[in-house]
Amino acid sequence: MKRLNGRQQPVLDVRNFSFSYDEIIEQPLFNRLNFTLNQNEITLLMGASGAGKSSLALCLNGLYPEAVEGTASGDIFFQGKNIQEFERGELTKEIGIVFQDPESQFCMITVEDELAFTLENRKIPASAIRKKIMEMLKAVGMEGFERHKIHELSGGEKQKIALAAVLLLEPKILILDEPTANMDPLSSLEFIRLVEEIQNVPQMSVLIIEHQARDWFEMIDRILLIGRDGHLLADDVPKHLFTKQKRLLKREGVFLPGEFSEVPAFRESRTQTSPSAEYVLSVRGLSFSRRKQEVLKNVNMDVRCGEFVVIAGENGAGKSTLIQVMAGLLSPDAGEVFFSGRLLKKWKENELRKRMGFVFQNPEHQFITDTVYEELTFGMKRNGLSEQEMETAAGELMEQFHLKELASCNPFALSGGQKRRLSVATVLDATPDILLFDEPTFGQDAATTMELMDYIMALQSKRKAIVFVTHDMDIADAADRVVVFKEGEVAFDGIPDSLWQKEELIRRARLRLPTRLRKKEGG
Amino acid sequence: MTCMISSINPSIKMVAVLIPGILLGLTYDVFTPLLYLMFILVVTFTMTDIPITRWLKLFSPFLILASGFAWTTMLYANQTFSGGETLFSFWIFEVTAGSVQTGISVGLRSLCFGALSLMFILTTDSTKLMLSFMQQCKLSPKITYGILAGYRFLPIFQHELQIIRQAHRIRGVTREQGIKGRVNQFRRYAIPLLANGIRKAERVAIAMESKGFTGDPDRTHYRKMVARKRDWLFFVLMIGVLMTVFALSYHLGYLKIFGRQF
Repeated sequence: MKRLNGRQQPVLDVRNFSFSYDEIIEQPLFNRLNFTLNQNEITLLMGASGAGKSSLALCLNGLYPEAVEGTASGDIFFQGKNIQEFERGELTKEIGIVFQDPESQFCMITVEDELAFTLENRKIPASAIRKKIMEMLKAVGMEGFERHKIHELSGGEKQKIALAAVLLLEPKILILDEPTANMDPLSSLEFIRLVEEIQNVPQMSVLIIEHQARDWFEMIDRILLIGRDGHLLADDVPKHLFTKQKRLLKREGVFLPGEFSEVPAFRESRTQTSPSAEYVLSVRGLSFSRRKQEVLKNVNMDVRCGEFVVIAGENGAGKSTLIQVMAGLLSPDAGEVFFSGRLLKKWKENELRKRMGFVFQNPEHQFITDTVYEELTFGMKRNGLSEQEMETAAGELMEQFHLKELASCNPFALSGGQKRRLSVATVLDATPDILLFDEPTFGQDAATTMELMDYIMALQSKRKAIVFVTHDMDIADAADRVVVFKEGEVAFDGIPDSLWQKEELIRRARLRLPTRLRKKEGG
Repeated sequence: MTCMISSINPSIKMVAVLIPGILLGLTYDVFTPLLYLMFILVVTFTMTDIPITRWLKLFSPFLILASGFAWTTMLYANQTFSGGETLFSFWIFEVTAGSVQTGISVGLRSLCFGALSLMFILTTDSTKLMLSFMQQCKLSPKITYGILAGYRFLPIFQHELQIIRQAHRIRGVTREQGIKGRVNQFRRYAIPLLANGIRKAERVAIAMESKGFTGDPDRTHYRKMVARKRDWLFFVLMIGVLMTVFALSYHLGYLKIFGRQF
């Protein structure tokens, strides 16, 4: 942690700032916020998902409320000057933001053009641009990538380019909005180290928006906590906040860094059951290619009844493809999938879908109807249940997943956590033997993740097999078995405890140890 | 090679390709488009590095299309074009020398159009094209960068549609029959696709603004697109040959514009 030299001149001073979207004016997203961001300081902004953290970032750089239908009150001062007095496009050059979604923050095809875009906006003479691009690529560790196409880069690489583009603004304040959300564990760590390195050089103030502090913890000077009601609940140094205000943080659905956490890790909260010897799903000699590129190479894998299996590995290692093949959504080039002892392709589609559930990364993709109730009864109707039966079954599901009051809401209008719960509830309308999940905890806060894990553990105790694709090593730690993929091949298949001993493999597959074992890591 | 078409300024190239395309569309004789088609082929194979096999693969659909056009025009040519003696007739069709000529001409014109388009598409970088529109044709940066950002959306949309299809299959939505079913299915795909598309577009717009983009035409250009002498030379070549072909065909008495013989 860096020392703070006495009282600092604030770079950004937020006074009595409130903001609300026009459609929900009675409940402001933030309410009378007062805080400052200081030079050469790293501040972490925490809060549950849906608390409006990302919107705050855009209020700070002056894009909101103009860009949306919203109303703001109060004042924000940048270096002593009210941000409303800045010309359009002036303040955005002082306050740079790296956004969460690597897919939607670029407008050019190649790395070089994207970085040049920033510099052209700053009206840097064309002759000076190339040198600046090269220097910046070197600074973020992406030398030699200037001619690469952005969409061909990995998630971690994309975010490094996003960071480079923003740093080329030479901003006074750098805002990082959950920049590591969809990276594999090692890429995420590398990115965080990179931020730390870069911050040390210029006198820049950094604001990190995250719902988990764990990897940033070492370098942050101060934490701001925004509550669900939009108030600023805490402005404190990390150690103090995490020891004295635990109840507050928990209530707000914020992840505590491992060492401060009293909540047992998923691993401890789970009653280990002994899976039966019977296989519910088996994969034999599976190969799959996409555009002449081998995505899966001769994969063999089994899932037993009632077993909780985690599939891990870096982005692009073939994890999602594998579970899509397992679910019969893609046909393999070679090899077979057996489900309940029968060839997958011999199953009738209708029967198969009743006995196998699949939850996608984006819950919205699964929604078909206009209300939560119809969504839950969609499958039942097709299976010929009576009105009475459907009502009872849907009622039970809504009870279990806290969706009762939302029965007549449109699924698309729900909050992130509610959408996630509904998407899980919809695959439970029949009685599946196996549930496949594709990164279901991506972008979810602590409370939602915890809740989802509770449901999953409950399902598993009912002898349903669970297969999870995830980057979250704490979840992997709670599994009966972990299967690690590396370049389309199974690099490891065994219990988590034996995986954690294979340092070399963990590094190669771009994984990390789970939080409970990480203290030894020395990071 | 020094005179690669891929290095020609895209805006000029576009005009140099569009003008012959439009003017040839007005000629109804066989000779003019045939001669110009030969010229396009010569240009394509001497001044670009498109591999012949790849070109043939892409050009073959045009061949089929063109012969289709030629055939139907020949059978259905109207009074203006179907003069001349009857060559043969079957069933209700009467094929005359005039209609054969018009048919072949239509086919050749389609081929010219195909060959010109291929030459343009295969030698033009889409980013450069937009940048050139902005720098030469004074297209506003807002529209230019908007379209450039849009390029990135196509593959994302495609991928998303595929996932939605899969997700619906999992839920047991079967391919629906009938018009009502089709409409319903379209709606189911369209809503999440659009919801996501709009959200992504908004995010991109905000990210662009956050990088200091205001749409102000006063900006520096890292990739300077200029119109040099050789770009105009190419333009003169394309249009000049077109004029020569017209003149030659007029001189030889073949030229026919809209059924009017000159």
